[in-house]
Amino acid sequence: MSSITLTNITKYYGNVEVIKKFSGVFEDKQFVTLLGPSGCGKTTLLRMIAGFEKPTTGEIKIDDVTVSSANNFVPPNLRNIGMVFQSYAVWPHMNVFENVEYPLKIQKIPRSERNKRVSEILKAVDLSQYAERMPNELSGGQQQRVALGRALVSNPRVLLLDEPLSNLDAKLRETMRFEIKEMQKKFGITVVYVTHDQTEAMAMSDKVIVFNNGIVQQIDSPVNIYSNPANQFVADFIGRINFLDADIFEGEIKFSGGQVMKYSGDKRGKAVIAVRPENIKIRTDEGILCGKLSQAYYLGDVNDCRIDVDGTEVRVIREGRTYGEIEIGANVWLDFDTYHVFEK
Amino acid sequence: MYPKNNFFNVKAVLIILIAAFLFVFNVFPMGYLIFRSFVGENGFTLSAFSRIYTYPLNWNALRNTLITAGLSMIFGIMIAFPLAWLVGRTDLYGRKFFRTLFVMTYMVPPYVGAMAWLRLLNPRVGTLNVFIANLFGLSENPFNIYTIGGLVWVLTTFYYPYAFITISRAMEKMDPSLEEASKISGASPLKTVMTVTFPVMFPSIVAAALLVFISAASCYGIPSIIGAPGQIDTVTTRIIDYVYVGSPEGLTDATVLAVSLMVIANIVLYISTFICGKKQYITVSGKSTRPNIVELGKWRIPITILVGIFALIVVIIPFVTVAMTSFTKNLGKPLSLANFTTRYWNILLTRKGILDTAKNSLIAASVAATAGIIISCVMAWLLTRTRAKGRHIPDFLITLGSGTPSVVIALALIMTMSGRFGINIYNTLTIMIVAYMVKYLLMGMRTVVSAMSQIHPSLEEAALISGAEWQRSFKDVTLPLIAPSVVAGWFLIFMPSFYELTMSTLLYSTDTKTIGYELFTYQTYHSQQTASAIATGILLLIIIVNWILNKLTKGEFSI
Repeated sequence: MSSITLTNITKYYGNVEVIKKFSGVFEDKQFVTLLGPSGCGKTTLLRMIAGFEKPTTGEIKIDDVTVSSANNFVPPNLRNIGMVFQSYAVWPHMNVFENVEYPLKIQKIPRSERNKRVSEILKAVDLSQYAERMPNELSGGQQQRVALGRALVSNPRVLLLDEPLSNLDAKLRETMRFEIKEMQKKFGITVVYVTHDQTEAMAMSDKVIVFNNGIVQQIDSPVNIYSNPANQFVADFIGRINFLDADIFEGEIKFSGGQVMKYSGDKRGKAVIAVRPENIKIRTDEGILCGKLSQAYYLGDVNDCRIDVDGTEVRVIREGRTYGEIEIGANVWLDFDTYHVFEK
Repeated sequence: MYPKNNFFNVKAVLIILIAAFLFVFNVFPMGYLIFRSFVGENGFTLSAFSRIYTYPLNWNALRNTLITAGLSMIFGIMIAFPLAWLVGRTDLYGRKFFRTLFVMTYMVPPYVGAMAWLRLLNPRVGTLNVFIANLFGLSENPFNIYTIGGLVWVLTTFYYPYAFITISRAMEKMDPSLEEASKISGASPLKTVMTVTFPVMFPSIVAAALLVFISAASCYGIPSIIGAPGQIDTVTTRIIDYVYVGSPEGLTDATVLAVSLMVIANIVLYISTFICGKKQYITVSGKSTRPNIVELGKWRIPITILVGIFALIVVIIPFVTVAMTSFTKNLGKPLSLANFTTRYWNILLTRKGILDTAKNSLIAASVAATAGIIISCVMAWLLTRTRAKGRHIPDFLITLGSGTPSVVIALALIMTMSGRFGINIYNTLTIMIVAYMVKYLLMGMRTVVSAMSQIHPSLEEAALISGAEWQRSFKDVTLPLIAPSVVAGWFLIFMPSFYELTMSTLLYSTDTKTIGYELFTYQTYHSQQTASAIATGILLLIIIVNWILNKLTKGEFSI
């Protein structure tokens, strides 16, 4: 049982508003990701949950305990939270065992029990044979696991991760992604994860919160964030997408190049039509939009095409084996499986 | 750190306390000094200035100070920059050994250099002079130490380590990928040094130059030991002469000269900060990265030999000369078994006068270093871990203090701390301690601040989130990581305070003579051998303490 409740959180640095009125509930055992470009306020929010920053206004509760409000503030050391820092923050003057043991030492847990617990954790993070090593003798991925072990050793209510994978190479990043997810399931812990990498967010989360400029753009499941973006920012930030300027009238959408498409929705006026590259079909007979195939790249599994539609470049991803079926420069038709309309 | 109301108060109180200390013992005395130089019995007057500068002697002193300090600064940087680069960035043989040797020179009292070169390059009987004359069959000795050139030589060889340390430190902190980027663009190692390393290091080089200039300009020991026989006066020696006159008029004259020296120092300080601007913060990254090593290739052996010869002439020969002098019976003859004596070491170890002064210096320097390092730690915390308002005020005042010529600090303290304004610490050890702290605090503070800024705040936060209170986090994480630097910082305040001469010469009383002053008196009036024995004792102390600290901190101790 560990939920986090944030109510009307704002944060100012001087006159700069870095978090604009945020409210949300992170439920027990949920994996929540705060996603957004750098400087969007996601790390600030995480540090407020940890207790390193104090909200300017608003209230933070962990379970039923208010840890931060106008007249109550629980310092980080009393919050029983685990945290993995972007730089790992593995203490260079302690070996792996001592690093992981530290939170238990603070809690004055007897030595024998400490040894047992640390051994378990080291086994869980696959570092058993490195217990006596100093941090400078470890690779980045190993240091990362030390940090993870240290964060988990005292059975915290909540685990906070601040861009923990951003310093690792691509392959290790993928492996660690699954390891962290496995840990979360194994320990049944509530996780708040900060990243600017949308793939990480999609792969790991139960719930994604997209931030921009301190404002929440969307709170949803990864599937919905991708297939039903709330606005143009989310659509652009998550995955690849084409934007086409258009005007919407009764029954039709008129694109800026002059072509027209049937429309049955209720939006009107100036708008942006957003469509993901994999949701477009290329046809040689009749379709919705007419254009010219300008480029095609063979990528093995897929075939990455660019179509010039009245001067706007539209990206389409097709199956790899269709490569070469259509000549560069040929006129083609585009069909949309699904698309989104954002009013301007 | 999490914000908490009582925290703010602690910070404010600390800032006020440190600023107040520096204000009372540095800013206010200095202000009074300026006031005194312009205000006579009948209000504002320039009569003191016009009186002082009607004497050509004082004009000469001013000129000599500018020339000697200026040239020492230029030569010092010309020596220190290549040395710092060779020792820090190349595969020079014996890099560690050379580094230790050059850094150790910093810890040696500069007047020991004067004592040594006096023996080596005396125009008539200088050992090295005679040796060279014999070697090349010259009819007369080639060098005369009692000249402006001689003065510049000794000042340079004993003040370039200040620049060496400053530049080395900055070089260690410089992001090596800057140099790598230059090499990948096709630049040769030398080209890289000239187009990337040097410009990036420029602010540190200017800071180093300033340090050498101020130190050389306010040095008393060297111009007094070498200048006196050659009748070369500098502003510092003139000031001390005027103070020794003892009359109120003498004091006023000293004040006027001190203000002149202060003006020069401030102009240099202003120019240097103007040139540097804020460059330093952009170009030198705070993180400690392993510097890439430049391979010297076929130049490796020749350059190592060159550096070795330099070390031999500038460090080893002077030290050995002083040590040998302390065992020499008759200074007119070379050291031999017949001319060998331990008499002067007996004097050093038994004479109560010497032991008392050593005790005074030990107490004063220990107290100054301990109080200084506590202030340094507090300042490091305030500067790197808080955004407390006004935290840069004490920082500025500490920098100001170390930029003030020693002789000016001492004179200003005499004028204000002898009861005139409610504080009377004249003739006590306290006034010495205060002077040492004002002058040397910066070195300690810089060391701790740079160590602290290299500790990523997340290391402390990780301790907090593990359940430790901030005191516990400081004890378990911060302290072990900065301990070597704290020890080094303590030593950097202790050592110059221990052998300090200039300020002690003005501030001592019969009961509070310091070892530096005692040594100087022996050198000038009684017995060069005894002075040499004391100097060698100080050298041994430096080597031993250095060795112990190195062992204690497992080689992490470095300056």
